[in-house]
Amino acid sequence: MRIFDRSGELMDHDLIEQVHLERLQALVARLKRNVRRWRERLAGIRITGVEDLDRLPFTSPQDLLEAFPYGMFALPLREVVRLHSTVGPGGKPLVLGYSRNDLTQWARLTARQLVAAGVTSNDVIQISFGGGFFNEALGYMLGAELVGASVIPEDPFHIEYQLEVLQKYRTTVLVTTPTNARDLADLLQTMEIDPQSLHLRTLVLSRPIPDDQREHLEVGTFAEVRTGFGVPEVMAPGFALECDEHRLHVQEDQFLVEVLDGELVVTTLVREAMPLLRYRTRIAARLERGRCPCGRTGVQVLPDGRLDGRLLVNEMPLCPEQIDGVLARTKAAGQPFRLHVSERGVIVEVEVSENFFADEMRVLADLKREIRLEFLARLGVEAEVRYVSSVGDSGNRGSAE
Amino acid sequence: MLRVRNLRTGYGSLEVIKGVSFHVAPGEVVALIGANGAGKTSLLSAVVGLLPPWDGQVVIGGRDATGAPPWESIASGVVLVPEGRRIFADMTVMENLQVGGYRNPDRDRLIDEMFDRFPRLRERRGQTAGTLSGGEQQMLAIARGLIARPRLLLLDEPSLGLAPLLVKEVFEVVRGLRDLGVTICMVEQNAVAALEIADRGYVLETGEIILEGVSEDLLRNPEVMRAYLGKGYREVWE
Repeated sequence: MRIFDRSGELMDHDLIEQVHLERLQALVARLKRNVRRWRERLAGIRITGVEDLDRLPFTSPQDLLEAFPYGMFALPLREVVRLHSTVGPGGKPLVLGYSRNDLTQWARLTARQLVAAGVTSNDVIQISFGGGFFNEALGYMLGAELVGASVIPEDPFHIEYQLEVLQKYRTTVLVTTPTNARDLADLLQTMEIDPQSLHLRTLVLSRPIPDDQREHLEVGTFAEVRTGFGVPEVMAPGFALECDEHRLHVQEDQFLVEVLDGELVVTTLVREAMPLLRYRTRIAARLERGRCPCGRTGVQVLPDGRLDGRLLVNEMPLCPEQIDGVLARTKAAGQPFRLHVSERGVIVEVEVSENFFADEMRVLADLKREIRLEFLARLGVEAEVRYVSSVGDSGNRGSAE
Repeated sequence: MLRVRNLRTGYGSLEVIKGVSFHVAPGEVVALIGANGAGKTSLLSAVVGLLPPWDGQVVIGGRDATGAPPWESIASGVVLVPEGRRIFADMTVMENLQVGGYRNPDRDRLIDEMFDRFPRLRERRGQTAGTLSGGEQQMLAIARGLIARPRLLLLDEPSLGLAPLLVKEVFEVVRGLRDLGVTICMVEQNAVAALEIADRGYVLETGEIILEGVSEDLLRNPEVMRAYLGKGYREVWE
């Protein structure tokens, strides 16, 4: 078992408590000084222990949306060296700012995750993420470079090409999404390629998966599966790491976590450009304290789905509200519809009235094409369009199933 | 080694340390940096008991030492090398060192050790301390502190009032102590020099800690650069 940062990952409880207090006090002092929207809300609040966290206000995704683009920054824009965006409430964009040190920390935390997965400087690490996964890809790049591995950034736009890279570059570690990993395992099977003929040793996946899927992937690729868990607004990857015991440890020296009414709430303790105070992640989770044989002291997090109805379609986040917006741009605007969501794409059933049917077939075919293209262009999601005479009561204004 | 939680103190009704928490682990060199009037010296004074704390906790080596008188903190292995040296100007170098080791039966051997480390002091052992140069006085102050065999050495502005060349020399001495494994907590206005030899640092501003981190990160922090490195960084962004 290798550990990248012993002092951070194995920090004893007593010291973690002290560090939490120190960093929380410094964070509150910084927010009061540097962020106008916090100045008044934090006035008069004095932190004397981590338990005082209760007295601090929350930050919601809606707050980030209202502060769009730079209202949450605690540093002037000229000192913010990277701007990422992520999906906020209703599919609207949120801006995430990073200072130079934030990027350094991101690299360190992701390096911890990769080293915990067994990555060393001898590895050839292929980072395969498509469009929409910039943040993840860049985080893994920073981490892998810090570990000193040979990094292959790659967009798996064509899976056969991806496989070719795996074979020819003798990739030992593949970082990708669970969906892509499954496609790859399936491809190996259809092409009758022995996974042992690859040099692949470890699969690092962007999100946790159930045990049966893990097993399927490990058999299908003959590689060990490790997952990460991140909250895009907080840090993804790098928020938590999976250890040899397959437990997800929060990197607790840098994040303060709470679970309130089943929701994961995170405070970033060292972020400079855009610190988050008690950020409501809209992710359901449980926390488990207790000794882990790996020695890491960070609390274990067990994430469990979203609380805001956001879906994951082909690994892309999709908010039900977005569907309306997409349909509104087509000639099907205002028509009742019903949505079936699978892991790979959506099926949109659009209700068409008698007189709609009276039209030429070509019109309907064009509309189908229009809707499909609109979904792909705006949401990056494959849509199959079906016409129905009635979507029923439940599907009146669109419902995702 | 040292843990401070929510320390508050001040003078009269004026609160100058407003709930400060920091720690120094064994073998570590920690820099507390901050501008003039940030409260650095008051903070160290409260830690060693020279200034009574209003609130909070000081734990030295696992034992609660909040508000303990200075002689007790010396007994528990904490030695403060005060701002402006505060050597006994009318006494000789040798006498100053003997005072530093008043509790130590082994002091003669330690004084010899100090002379090996600071040869200039051996040359001037019979000279009255007030006639030493600023840099030599600082060496003497540090040597006097070391003779008490501290587990934790607190240095208050070791570079204050010294010419740049001497500043360099003094920091060389601190670096030497670090390499010997002495645990050091240093208060400094000279942020860059202090962070260059420290493992970690805290930034103190008007009685509060606003930043904490490993030295290399603090040196790259825009707020530290703005406050301590000049660079025409004072600019409003809103």
